[in-house]
Amino acid sequence: MQRRAFLGTLAAALAPKLGWADVGSPAFFAAGKQGEAFFLHGLSATGGSLFQVPLPGRGHAAAAHPTRPEAVAFARRPGTFALVINCLTGKIAHRLTPPEGMQFNGHGTFSLDGGLLMTSEVIAETSEGRIGLWDTQRYTRLTDWPSHGIGPHEIKRLPDGRLAVANGGIRTDPVDRTKLNIPDMRPNLTLLAEDGAPLDQIELPDLRQNSIRHLALSGDAIAFAMQWEGDQAEPVPQLGLWTPGSAPILCEPSAKDAFAMQGYAGSVAATLSRILITSPKGGAAMLFDGSGKALATHRRADLCGAATTPAGFVLTDGNGAIWTADDAGLTPLATGTAQWDNHLVALT
Amino acid sequence: MRALLLALLLTTPAAADTAEAVHDQIRPGYAAFAEAAQALAALDSCDPDQLRPAFHAAYDAWLSVGHLHLGPAEDEGRSLAIHFWPDPKGLGRKAQSALLTGDPAALQPQAFRQQSVAARGLPALERLLYPAEPLPADACPLIKATAADLSDMTGDLASAWGPFGDLLLTAGEPGNTSFLSAAEARQALFTQFAGGLEHIADNRLGRPLGTFDKPRPELAEARASERSLRNVTLSLKALRSLALALNPTIPKTEATFDQAIALADTLDDPTLAGVADPQTRLKVEILQQAVRATRQAAIAELAAALGVTLGFNSQDGD
Repeated sequence: MQRRAFLGTLAAALAPKLGWADVGSPAFFAAGKQGEAFFLHGLSATGGSLFQVPLPGRGHAAAAHPTRPEAVAFARRPGTFALVINCLTGKIAHRLTPPEGMQFNGHGTFSLDGGLLMTSEVIAETSEGRIGLWDTQRYTRLTDWPSHGIGPHEIKRLPDGRLAVANGGIRTDPVDRTKLNIPDMRPNLTLLAEDGAPLDQIELPDLRQNSIRHLALSGDAIAFAMQWEGDQAEPVPQLGLWTPGSAPILCEPSAKDAFAMQGYAGSVAATLSRILITSPKGGAAMLFDGSGKALATHRRADLCGAATTPAGFVLTDGNGAIWTADDAGLTPLATGTAQWDNHLVALT
Repeated sequence: MRALLLALLLTTPAAADTAEAVHDQIRPGYAAFAEAAQALAALDSCDPDQLRPAFHAAYDAWLSVGHLHLGPAEDEGRSLAIHFWPDPKGLGRKAQSALLTGDPAALQPQAFRQQSVAARGLPALERLLYPAEPLPADACPLIKATAADLSDMTGDLASAWGPFGDLLLTAGEPGNTSFLSAAEARQALFTQFAGGLEHIADNRLGRPLGTFDKPRPELAEARASERSLRNVTLSLKALRSLALALNPTIPKTEATFDQAIALADTLDDPTLAGVADPQTRLKVEILQQAVRATRQAAIAELAAALGVTLGFNSQDGD
């Protein structure tokens, strides 16, 4: 063994085990832009920045290790980087690059015990979906699984270890994101076992041009948010609820707000009794009850990030504001740190 | 002293840009629209010939504010209820046909405002005043209900723009949680402006244009009342005024606007039916390009002057 490596191992063995409390117990992660620079921030429950780490390009989403103070920042699609950040030192501990011919697709999640990182990926040439698996001891690549669809975007681990995959269905140009198969796209929502075996899958045969892209959990139901690629003059739902084993429920907005989201949901977050989707295009957040009934629409330009805390919903926007949201409206929580990127990720 | 000066600087009222737009364009525009809709509703007639001039006047007035989909226009789905278009599934016609032959109680003002947004507003009136085929029942009660509802909505809009306009004008002041800075107010107006130009290019011109192999003249806006081109011209003029209110020194944007308006003025094709003919189609395509060029010029020049961009996330898409 090299002396340095041996000392490293020794130090690691002797060091007290550090956890999230040692970095101020961030409640959320969000990527953002400040001037022309990009950062990942750890945020407190009140929206204050506890630490920030520079990113080499525009970020998208993040994933937090369940126990170690380690976060992974994902580049926006098509992603060439994912950075494992030691939140204690603010240093980049590992730079993950997808295998040759693959691209990260913006999202990832840790296994229940934190031993594995799973990343949503595509084969660049075909947009065929894969779930990359990484050993989190040293962030080495282990293998990958098929995602059972085209263009997977968000992936979400269920509390029992199963993995929900939003296969957006869109084949894109590997370089410029041009969409290549809109007339015959076929998104799906796939459920994988802990070992990657496919367990169940749904499609929306009447809404094939509604790309299933983002996920949240509401009790046993998987809330899925969609982006409409069909005629923008057709009113379609942006939210669905799926309890595996039963048929999906589509959640229609109220008629007067049928176009409030402009066919586009950018994020979804859920509690047991409420589901919230955001639309930066429409400048709106829409709230539904647990059965999928539309309750309220709140307006705010460029809203996108959405996450839950025990107290309710927290949202971020591209103008730099952070909000709490409930049935009654939006309340400002903090402003001015950064232009917040698409996703706000709660540390759970 | 320095702290006081700083505090004064920070609470400077909204700059002329937002103020000009609200005072000189938006509020007067909504007031004129309400007046025109009221005049239409006040006519004691169901004769299409008698109603058409007032219908056109209200439609014209709407075009000076129809690109504004924020604040009071979003509340209660008013913007949709005033102008539900495009309507590729023909939802408006279906809902209206149910109202024509259904329980007249649905035409009472309180009940009527609960009806589908697709069955209300200007396109709904157009279908009654310019029916493509004979209507299944006497249209008079529905015409009256639709005109009264439009008048009510425009009145509500005009009064709601008092307080909502104040929110834009006091952007960044303590307690204003709608617009957290003056730049946010400018950005909100610029977003509406850019969306308005996009709507002209993509929908008003783009829908009838369809593709070269499959033009869709039947999809033109307000075709029955032969307003398709007029709507393009009037909304271009309204957007030009809004741009100049936001900033008077935008020579490139102004030039591209003038080019587009000149093209529209010389296009002798009120319903844009020419999209089906390869010769005249080209003229509509050139107009569409000119509208898109105007949007690009404004993004480069006006947005920069206002210190705003189109949304960070809304333009990203993922």
